[in-house]
Amino acid sequence: MPDWRAHVRQSLGKCSGDSAEEERIIRELAEHLEEYYLALCDNGSSEEEAFAKTCAQAGGWDELRRGILSAKQEETMQERIRQVWLPGLVTSLGSYFVLALLQRVAIRSFAGHPGIPHGVVFYSLWLVVLPVVGAGGGYLSRRWDGAGWQVYLGVLVPAMGLAVILVALFLISTVAGPRVPLLMKLPALAVGILGWTVLPGAGLCLGAALQGLLHRNPLSPVRQESV
Amino acid sequence: MIRTELKRGTAELAVLSVLEEGPLHGYEIGRRIEDRSRGALCYTLAALYPLLYRMECRGWLRADWVTGANGRRRRTYRLTPRGKKKLKPLRAEWADLFRALRRVAKVSHA
Repeated sequence: MPDWRAHVRQSLGKCSGDSAEEERIIRELAEHLEEYYLALCDNGSSEEEAFAKTCAQAGGWDELRRGILSAKQEETMQERIRQVWLPGLVTSLGSYFVLALLQRVAIRSFAGHPGIPHGVVFYSLWLVVLPVVGAGGGYLSRRWDGAGWQVYLGVLVPAMGLAVILVALFLISTVAGPRVPLLMKLPALAVGILGWTVLPGAGLCLGAALQGLLHRNPLSPVRQESV
Repeated sequence: MIRTELKRGTAELAVLSVLEEGPLHGYEIGRRIEDRSRGALCYTLAALYPLLYRMECRGWLRADWVTGANGRRRRTYRLTPRGKKKLKPLRAEWADLFRALRRVAKVSHA
């Protein structure tokens, strides 16, 4: 009986970046070839004939390797979408929706009371709500096996979006309004980045981190049910 | 004999159809398709496995290592609800194609 695993390993070459994954693929293909070979032997083929027919059944090894790599690449892209970009989109929609809602509510509730700093009220409330939104994004990412940087990158998308807007505004104002000195614009950009990127980002990450602790905790109610 | 290019297009429907009846491992999938098509559709490893991996990543199939009666562990594929959903429109698409071919090329047994 030929060593099909060694044969596949030698013929296929590198078919995945992950060695455990590669081993799994080699094992699966070897099982297939072995079964094909045994069926041929059972049907009266000689060992040489069965070996030659089985090798032909494999098709082109280069084609197989390219096909596997392409399928795995598609898998990686799908994983990125599910683990990073989809939670990022949901977190963005959630945070911007809450911000818009709080702005409306705050403006309505405090209309006629000019002494109350509306901006601070809705902004503080927004920061308080953001960990909940971040936890939602973290849950979505982890649900699709996202881990570590994937989870945090996903939940940071809204904060990064705001940073991009602030930097774009800074660049536009630098080009369009050159009379205002840069020394005045730079602190404004720094304050904007702190208030609209760093603090909201920290809130979102805090929520994702807390959700992660709950996800991992074996004594959490969800885990207890499954035990 | 059906040419490779033609067979490639049929593989998705063939794999989903045989898995509709129950979980199978890679060799059994190939074997069953070959038997059902009376040898007309015979996929090599290079045609079958990239397709299985692609369908798995699209969520149409789920694969698990299962120990068989002879103690051998094999990667067994089963249809997911998403795969079942995909099968119906795929069948309709092929039926439309066969009807069109029948009209255009007078393919009598398509």
